[in-house]
Amino acid sequence: MSLGKLADIDRRVFYWILFVALMVPFLSPIGFPITIAPNTQDLYDGITGDEVNEGDVWIVNFGYGVSAWSECHPAVTVCTKALFREGAKIIFTGIHVDLELTYNKLRDTCSEDFADKVYGEDYVFLGYMTGGESVVAQLASNIKSVYPADHFGTPYDDIPMLEGVVDHSDIAGVLSSDTGDYGGHFMTQWQGAYGSKVAEIGIAMNGSTDLPRWQAGNFFGVSVGSRGGAELELLIGELGEATTAMDSISVSHLLLILAIIIGNIGVLTEKLGGKK
Amino acid sequence: MSDILKREVVYAITGIITVLMLLEYFFFDTSQAWAEALRTWAVIIYNISLFLGAIRLSIAHSVRIQEKRRDWQYSGILMAIFVIQLLTGLAAYITTGVATNNGIYNWLFNYVYTPLGATLYPITGFYIFSAAYRAFRARNIDAALMLIAGCLVMLKNAPVGEAIWIGFATLGNWVQFTAQVPGMRTLAIVGALGLIAFGFRALLGKERGFYAGGGE
Amino acid sequence: MAIIVAGRLMTFIYMIVFFVLMYYYMSINKEEQYTIRSMPAMQAIPEAVGRAAEMGRPVFWTPGISGSLDNSSQGPQVLAAISILEFVTEECVKAGVHIHAICPLPDALPLVEETMRTAYLREGKPEEFSPEQITFISQQSAYLSGTLGYFQRERPASNILVGGFYYESVVIGEAGNHIGAMQIGGTNNTHQMPFMVATCDYMMLAEELFAAGAAITMNRDMLGSIKGEDIMKLLLVALTAVGFILGAINVTIIADLLGM
Repeated sequence: MSLGKLADIDRRVFYWILFVALMVPFLSPIGFPITIAPNTQDLYDGITGDEVNEGDVWIVNFGYGVSAWSECHPAVTVCTKALFREGAKIIFTGIHVDLELTYNKLRDTCSEDFADKVYGEDYVFLGYMTGGESVVAQLASNIKSVYPADHFGTPYDDIPMLEGVVDHSDIAGVLSSDTGDYGGHFMTQWQGAYGSKVAEIGIAMNGSTDLPRWQAGNFFGVSVGSRGGAELELLIGELGEATTAMDSISVSHLLLILAIIIGNIGVLTEKLGGKK
Repeated sequence: MSDILKREVVYAITGIITVLMLLEYFFFDTSQAWAEALRTWAVIIYNISLFLGAIRLSIAHSVRIQEKRRDWQYSGILMAIFVIQLLTGLAAYITTGVATNNGIYNWLFNYVYTPLGATLYPITGFYIFSAAYRAFRARNIDAALMLIAGCLVMLKNAPVGEAIWIGFATLGNWVQFTAQVPGMRTLAIVGALGLIAFGFRALLGKERGFYAGGGE
Repeated sequence: MAIIVAGRLMTFIYMIVFFVLMYYYMSINKEEQYTIRSMPAMQAIPEAVGRAAEMGRPVFWTPGISGSLDNSSQGPQVLAAISILEFVTEECVKAGVHIHAICPLPDALPLVEETMRTAYLREGKPEEFSPEQITFISQQSAYLSGTLGYFQRERPASNILVGGFYYESVVIGEAGNHIGAMQIGGTNNTHQMPFMVATCDYMMLAEELFAAGAAITMNRDMLGSIKGEDIMKLLLVALTAVGFILGAINVTIIADLLGM
């Protein structure tokens, strides 16, 4: 096989190599050390210590579905644990149709922290909201108008922790975790309009959009993909799913660089062959 | 009358609501009841459009089944699941007030729809792989720079990069925070300006797409 | 007592200045003739339609899953995509090429249908339009698999992927490459631009998507608004440069002014 053909390898060869290679770290973990990015450190600092007072009410928005659990859920788990341990109260909301599955998974992954918390007093699951940016804007001005009852049908006024929680001014901060643009909606309608504290827990693909917003101060912190989740796990001292996934990410990135090198060898060979 | 409805009434409604929302944002520091009502109506209209989409879907697939077109069996499966979910969800909502209080509804959602949806997302990784293999070719200086920058950021994000050489983290951070983030910020700013200009043209009736081909 | 809410005064002033600039160049300054640089992506559309005509295959259009029209950042992208759809449909009707649209947005669906119907009517062939040229698939995963299935069955010769995309951009783009389609992309979502640049043959980045309508029609009013936009950009660059220089010598007057 001439080296020039390296530029035209059937993509299915790569798919199979990638598929097999990604399984290896799960069977035999390697455990490369990771460093903490400044955006992740800022996120963690913003939900711990002096930044959070006991009794503060935070919103955690599930803007991701089951398909993005691997990227967003570890970071949301760490943030939920951190907030609970600081004594904050959490309102869980969401915009995905499989929201209940995500909420139940969070209760599993944070089972110890949920164990000594009382539903309705320390946390509440308001459930699904629809309507795009309009509903996020409406949430900022009147939470009850979006959620007259929680996900289980309990009227808003009958939930103890929501007494006196009317609008953005009663919310200490928002953690938006999404695969799309809801972080941007919270940034525009909460942070931009009222100066609320907003942080984003996003997928790796959205990192290029979220990082400028963190640099500009719109988000007080950003967690980017599985790597962000792994960094947060390291910060809280409880390694989990994201840390396990880091080895697979290392393998896939190395394979990708190898594939790029192979492709460029092929291109270079063709060029040199053409020049001759 | 239809031309007037298409254009003048649309202009009027769009213009009035835009001015009202801008007034509320700039001149009132607390949310106003009339603005809340408008936002609520926006949510309602969006949800009505979901209903419209469902009706359209039903009609399209019903016709396919009736006329036994190619792969009409798949339309049959779609309609069957659509009807089952609709009836079970409605029944649960009417009897208990919560649409998800139904075993069949939850089973179809949790064990059919959700796994199928979750399966599609990982395909992105494989496609990014083949796209990068095909696109990252150093055919000229620009492409070579893009290639090198991409590899540095990948090695920075993957823990193995730092394990190979700690300098990859430094270089990758430089590429990302000094080069890429400002570049993305630039695109975001100009995109936002273009977006505002588009909205202004739409308000003045100069954008055809906004009026479904009926603009000036 | 302040009339404008605290912290929003400068935003209000920007908005007024921006609107005044655009209005001036659109409606008041009638003497100057405006030009716009060519946009390769828009110029490639007739080529894409011609390719489809030669190969006897359809043209495909989709606006991405972006959300809904009431989304402040995604909605205008969809509307810009619908403007482009009108142009593409007219070209397809002229060339006798079938065009198919997959629209995942329920609130954009009536606009898409009306736009295509109007384009067929304008070209004098209303009887050739069928609502079945538009497929509605709502959820992201279903939309993705439906689009991939369409590609495998119908193998469109040209794909027009314009609008607000999320992760489906790379999958649809790469799938289009697998079937050998010519692809023209455009989005304002910065997180998808790299993927679309890698998978599409022609690309409209950021504001090019919104200026596409002006580039097609060369309408004077639209070009005037783009001129106003460019003047605004120059003002912002000047402000940034002055602020940067003053900031370097610890004079924060610009930053304080912008925060008013």
